[in-house]
Amino acid sequence: MNDSTAIAPMPGSSKLAILAYLGISALVYVLMMVLGLLMRMGQANWLGLPADLFYQIMTAHGAGMVGISGLAGSAVMWYFLRRYVDLTVGILWANLAFFLSGVVLILGGIFLGGYAGGWTFLFPLPSHGMGLWGPVGAACFLGGLLLIGVGFLLLYLDVARAIISKYGSLARGLGWPQLFGNSDETPPPAAVVAATMVLLVNITGIVAGAVVLVLILVNLFMPEFEVDALLTKNLIYFFGHVFINATIYQAVIAVYEILPEYTKRPWKVNKVFLGAWTASTIMVMAVYPHHLLMDFVMPTWALVLGQIMSYTGGFPILVVTAFGALTIVHRSGIQWDMPSGLLFLSMFGWAVGVVPAVIDGTIAVNNVMHNTMWVPGHFHMYLIVGLVAMLFGFKYYITGQDGKPGMFDKLAFWIYSLGGVGLSVTFLISGYFSVPRRWAQHMPEWVGLSQPAALMGAAVALGAAIFAIRFLTSLKHARAV
Amino acid sequence: MTLRAVIIMALGMVVAITATPLGHWLESTMVSHVLVELPLLVVAGIIFALPLKPVSQPLLNWVNRGGICGLITASFLLAFWMLPRWLDTSLGDPWVASAKYGSMVLTGMILALSWPSAHVITRAVVKIEFLTMFFRLGWLYLISPERLCNNYLLTDQIWLGRGFLLVGLALTITWAYPILFGNAVLEQQLTERKLSID
Ligand code: HEM
Ligand SMILES: [Cu+2]
Repeated sequence: MNDSTAIAPMPGSSKLAILAYLGISALVYVLMMVLGLLMRMGQANWLGLPADLFYQIMTAHGAGMVGISGLAGSAVMWYFLRRYVDLTVGILWANLAFFLSGVVLILGGIFLGGYAGGWTFLFPLPSHGMGLWGPVGAACFLGGLLLIGVGFLLLYLDVARAIISKYGSLARGLGWPQLFGNSDETPPPAAVVAATMVLLVNITGIVAGAVVLVLILVNLFMPEFEVDALLTKNLIYFFGHVFINATIYQAVIAVYEILPEYTKRPWKVNKVFLGAWTASTIMVMAVYPHHLLMDFVMPTWALVLGQIMSYTGGFPILVVTAFGALTIVHRSGIQWDMPSGLLFLSMFGWAVGVVPAVIDGTIAVNNVMHNTMWVPGHFHMYLIVGLVAMLFGFKYYITGQDGKPGMFDKLAFWIYSLGGVGLSVTFLISGYFSVPRRWAQHMPEWVGLSQPAALMGAAVALGAAIFAIRFLTSLKHARAV
Repeated sequence: MTLRAVIIMALGMVVAITATPLGHWLESTMVSHVLVELPLLVVAGIIFALPLKPVSQPLLNWVNRGGICGLITASFLLAFWMLPRWLDTSLGDPWVASAKYGSMVLTGMILALSWPSAHVITRAVVKIEFLTMFFRLGWLYLISPERLCNNYLLTDQIWLGRGFLLVGLALTITWAYPILFGNAVLEQQLTERKLSID
């Protein structure tokens, strides 16, 4: 579909911005993985981690990982989307500036202000620091999130502007005339379809987040305004679920663009593909009640919706992507190297990670598994072995490190992927035995599982560190198309 | 209708609101005060600014590049009158009342003079912030624990809260529709304006 020789190279400032996004994300991933490792070592009794510090680290790890995934995912989207529409570099930089200022506030709120209420800032935690943090620490954390939201809002609005000015409307960006009408115009390229879906859901999510964050901020300083705990929880999970899911929907554009280059076969945008993306646009927004299955005051229909959407919501894009990837690769004589290998691994991680998620989205199962280690088990699988593998695959690609991989790269690939699967599986097993999540101190009976998990975590962090070093030392070969 | 006729009508509206029982009547409930009277004054301001545009553009361009300063000023003016305390005071104190009338008309003028030079992204951000503010205020008014005004009852506040949510929803639909499904005017605007911040 795209012939990269026909695309104008990126101007220097765009290239620099993209590399800044990717470079920062590579470093932050490694750093946040080390924080994850510290938590797991604390739970394994190998490290005397005071409980207050554990929860600060947990908050930083959660917020940091989610935020940086958003940033890195948006870089992948931007890089490929500019092949088709006219994006604004100034906005790309503005988003980075907002992001970094937000990060400063968040880190200040956590490590100076003591905020340790988790990245999900569930009401009324921010205002109940019990002496560990005051309103200022919590406000810095929430304000930081708000700033980051503003940056992303700018970015997605620019993407919307660019898509609308080329295709006329967002419905056209999703290929609706081809999907619902009988238009025989060529549908928009996969990258445009994906970007349209992402901007739609993320702008909606950011608005919800911006409303609830400000309400909680008001409540911090004027507690007489008691916000409804259930409503805030709904909005927070709506925003959180959408935002973290959208990271993978941005990163997956790398699959749509890179595999065709490798196999010299176009990525086909047909009705099934368009249908899957349109269906997921709705479903990714409707599925969040699976986080509230234990809230008995929720209306039953919402919980049933959460279960049904969990069964159906994750699959369409995954299936068209994995199936598309298999058909495009099958008998294509593709050369396996770091970019293609990591991208293929990511399909596997994504697919495998969705299974335990769906299981836990079942109300009957959730009664038992809710807030056990099962939950971090599923999302570490599709974030480490899926999303982050995809992102590092793209980092190898953009720095021109394709072709026969070196020994270090191969080693890192295996350490990382096996470690990632191992880490997630140990989380899952712990969850299977009802070990609760978010416990700083583990019971003696659980430590046996936490210890191998810590080893696996070390492997993942090591593999990622090698990927990151290989990326940062190859920046001068970075491609501009 | 000529521009002159429209301006005279707007003037008539301002007079009616500030100097006749109509104003009192609108101010008798919180909802009509905030969601009818204030917007009408802003609209009048927008209309008053129509003939000004060609004259003052060069000077304004300098202070108000990209309309940003103006839009920020306008939002602060609007936000100020969303504070129940000042709304309340304006009912008893003629000075505060005049400040309210004047600043709302001014807000309209500033908006009208800033909007055309605002970049499409700035406009979108303003619209989204506006919507978000409606939802936030609606929610806050719904949960406000006590009467915030001497002149209005708790139920008045609750009605205002509902009003905010409803208007927010209506605006969301109105603004989202053309973006989702397209319309010629919008498309043209979008292609005409291209950003120059880099
Ligand atoms: C070396 C790799 C990693 C290790 C060792 C690790 C470890 C951990 C641990 C121990 C927890 C807390 C579990 C508990 O509830 O007790 C956690 C939570 C979490 N991790 Fe990781 N992690 C790693 C990588 C990642 C990555 C790559 C992401 C995302 C891209 C991620 C996202 C999260 C999130 C969102 C949470 C939830 C925090 C919360 O419950 O508030 N992690 N991780
Ligand atoms: Cu979810």
